[in-house]
Amino acid sequence: MNKHLANVNGWTIGAVLIIILLFLPNVSIVTGVFSPASENWTHIKEFMLLNYIKSSLTLVFFTALFTIAIGLSLAWLIAQYDFPLRNFMKWALILPLSIPPFIGAYTYHGIINYTGVIQKTLRNHFDVTPNPAYFDIMNVPGAIFIYTLFLYPYVYMITRIFLSHQSASLIESARTLGKGPLEIFFRVVIPISRVSIIGGASLVVLEVLNDYGVVKYFGIQTFSTAIFQTWFGLGDLDAAIKLAASLMGIVIFILVIERLLRGGKQFSYSTTKVRPLPLVRLKGRKAVFATLYTLVIFSVAFLIPILQLIDWVILTFGKVPMHDVLFYTKNSVIVAGLGAFLIIVFSLVVGNFSRVVNHKFAKILPKLTVLGYSIPGVVVAVAVITTFIALDRFLAPVYQYFGMDSELVLSVSLFMLISAYVIRFFAIGYNSIESGFDKIGTDFRDASRMLGANSLRTFFKIDVPMMKGAIISGFILVFVDILKEIPLTLILRPFNYDTLATKAFQYASDEKIMEASQASLLIVGVSTIAIFVFHKLLREEPK
Amino acid sequence: MKKSLILLVVALMLVLAACGSTTKKESGADKDAVAKKPEKSEVNLYTSRHYDVDNELYKKFEQETGIKVNVIKDEADVLIERIKREGTATKADLLLTADVGRLYRAKEEGLLQTVSSDILSKQIPEKLRDVDDMWVGLTKRARILVYNKDKVKPEELSTYEALTEDQWKNRVLVRSSESVYNQSLLASFIEINGEEKAKEWAQGIVNNFAQNPEGGDRDQAKAIAAGIGDIAIMNSYYFGQMLNSQEPEEVKVAENLGVFFPNQETTGTHVNISGAGVIKGSKNADNALKLLEFLTGEEAQGEFASANYEFPVNHNVAPSELLKSWGEFKEQDIPLSTLGENNAKAIMIFNEVGWK
Repeated sequence: MNKHLANVNGWTIGAVLIIILLFLPNVSIVTGVFSPASENWTHIKEFMLLNYIKSSLTLVFFTALFTIAIGLSLAWLIAQYDFPLRNFMKWALILPLSIPPFIGAYTYHGIINYTGVIQKTLRNHFDVTPNPAYFDIMNVPGAIFIYTLFLYPYVYMITRIFLSHQSASLIESARTLGKGPLEIFFRVVIPISRVSIIGGASLVVLEVLNDYGVVKYFGIQTFSTAIFQTWFGLGDLDAAIKLAASLMGIVIFILVIERLLRGGKQFSYSTTKVRPLPLVRLKGRKAVFATLYTLVIFSVAFLIPILQLIDWVILTFGKVPMHDVLFYTKNSVIVAGLGAFLIIVFSLVVGNFSRVVNHKFAKILPKLTVLGYSIPGVVVAVAVITTFIALDRFLAPVYQYFGMDSELVLSVSLFMLISAYVIRFFAIGYNSIESGFDKIGTDFRDASRMLGANSLRTFFKIDVPMMKGAIISGFILVFVDILKEIPLTLILRPFNYDTLATKAFQYASDEKIMEASQASLLIVGVSTIAIFVFHKLLREEPK
Repeated sequence: MKKSLILLVVALMLVLAACGSTTKKESGADKDAVAKKPEKSEVNLYTSRHYDVDNELYKKFEQETGIKVNVIKDEADVLIERIKREGTATKADLLLTADVGRLYRAKEEGLLQTVSSDILSKQIPEKLRDVDDMWVGLTKRARILVYNKDKVKPEELSTYEALTEDQWKNRVLVRSSESVYNQSLLASFIEINGEEKAKEWAQGIVNNFAQNPEGGDRDQAKAIAAGIGDIAIMNSYYFGQMLNSQEPEEVKVAENLGVFFPNQETTGTHVNISGAGVIKGSKNADNALKLLEFLTGEEAQGEFASANYEFPVNHNVAPSELLKSWGEFKEQDIPLSTLGENNAKAIMIFNEVGWK
């Protein structure tokens, strides 16, 4: 018994330590709520807050709705049915995630605006000049469209893995009981995959809340616009942080709701044999419909924007300096790989702690780390800079001892950037790992412990292999997310450390979307390779 | 497991810290051999200008002087915040921004130091330098009007103020108030005409909007071509870029538009600068000064003008052919720092009149 306790404490200490480290920089933001209101506050409240919150909520609500509809329906199709192109679509439907939403926004606007391919073809070849109002996506519905296209894979990916690896016995039972596909979908699939759906959708919601690129370009005023107007426009960073802190408040509220929605329901493995769901082969019209549906989503969310980007790369070929491309690509891969690796390791420690220590506190605590994901990256960046400069000051005697001539060491190194990634994207990795732990429950672990294996051995021999899917999908999600991350990378990188994302931003922010296409396409290329490789790994997962 | 984890983290920390400082080591590679002082060899830039031509110029500067230029690029306000937090330990030597308001802000925060030399005063007109020599201008941009040649006669155009008249109802295009270029424009009106009049102007433009502000400056020009409005307020260099775009349709759009420099008979066309200031406590201040002299020298100014369609600050350098073809024009005659001083007021006015 003593040994048991000691082990639990080991995990606890590790997990709590990680959570504290992740949460530390956010403290300076949270305390912002209590800072006294500045003279600008009345102005902000009167002219900015109400309308901005309204449009933020509209964006969040509809994006969540549509991403769930698309993500879940795709996950269900792929998990249960076999139809032409299914094996390709299985992983290709994740690819839209590799396109940063703001690049997607620029690209779609580029396709349909007055000088875009659609209107110019109509004009020059068919002599039709359509009403430009039909081609305006720079509004709230347009932003919902963009977010839905490029964020639905969060829901799709997490839900699909859940459905194909876990639901077999439940769905088969329903099938044997003679339930039709629709009934199974609504009475079985939706209830059992609720955790995954909410997990994926909450990532989408956070991503929409913290996005600034799309809404700025489209001229939509949202909560993050208010934060930036207050900081950049009014020059009042304190008030901006106060706003960011209120945003965190909203997010905490959402998280509590999510917890309540999840309730105490558990659907972990019910048998020792984890079998994938046997596929039902679709025939005739149904097969055509399934293929068509996945094809349409894939084209709109990936193929069409990619073709446009390729077109632009060709158009600007030779006009954009290319000599350093390899350097940027290498930098991108290094930071994304390191960041993703650390996040998965930390997530495993925290996730195991949360599972083993069966206490409400242990369930809620890791959720706090999501906070960093809810507010615009730049605000997080300021918090990270503050923390690291303090750390450098604290370590100054050590630096002197080693004869370093600089006062700033950590805060001018890659270490700061990688740490910031971990703080920001921990939620993404953790979500995946958590649903993996949810899935396997504690029965196998308990059995292993009862048979005398210690906590560590059990973890590596039993838990990790069973969670391979969750680990891999968590890694890809984080890797791809870091690859396209911009605000943190811009300000926290060491001198001269350009990445693909910073290059794409450099051009796009100056309205040179054609010149930005080269770097954007490379981001997509690297992500595609990563997603493909991991797809292969996933397939070799023990059946 | 936990021990190895901690070890791993520590090891990573060290490796990453080493990675970050390699730039320093590389640039000072000959440091050990000749025992040169590090400040001879590099200059660290925080810049919010992100043009390829800048990189070309830094490279040229490196070749000419042997001083390595290290760069971090981001939005000006974020860079300012980083410098503020780094305090005296900062590695930054020079701050470059694409808007004078941000230089003013850096100066107000006490982040800049005076910098002057005979060469600088010769190369940059006094008007484009800070009164306390805390910053200097590098390039100029004008906020101009472009119009549909079929629907608008140039005789109908006169001033920014005239755009608030009823004949322009539903015809004026301009981007959102989040653009610092719009903020500076309104800030200049606050300075010239007073807050009341400036607010009336903003309200008048909002009343005449052809559509809710959306997109960037180029999108305003395209909206004219699409028939959404007839006249747009935009930056001169974006228009220059459209005329020389790789996309033939964009060129077509731009060619169908006329350029007009407003307020020639009155207060002059609004001009903003991109500029730079040396950071207080800079360890390479001499190198920073050398870079400033280089960037305002004739060669670099020529590059700015031709590659990016910006107006040179150096009088000895002619603007590009395109800019020349637009003719000489009268600029606003107000101290540039007022654009920074009035920036917050401008934002508030925009919010009050509902300019998105």
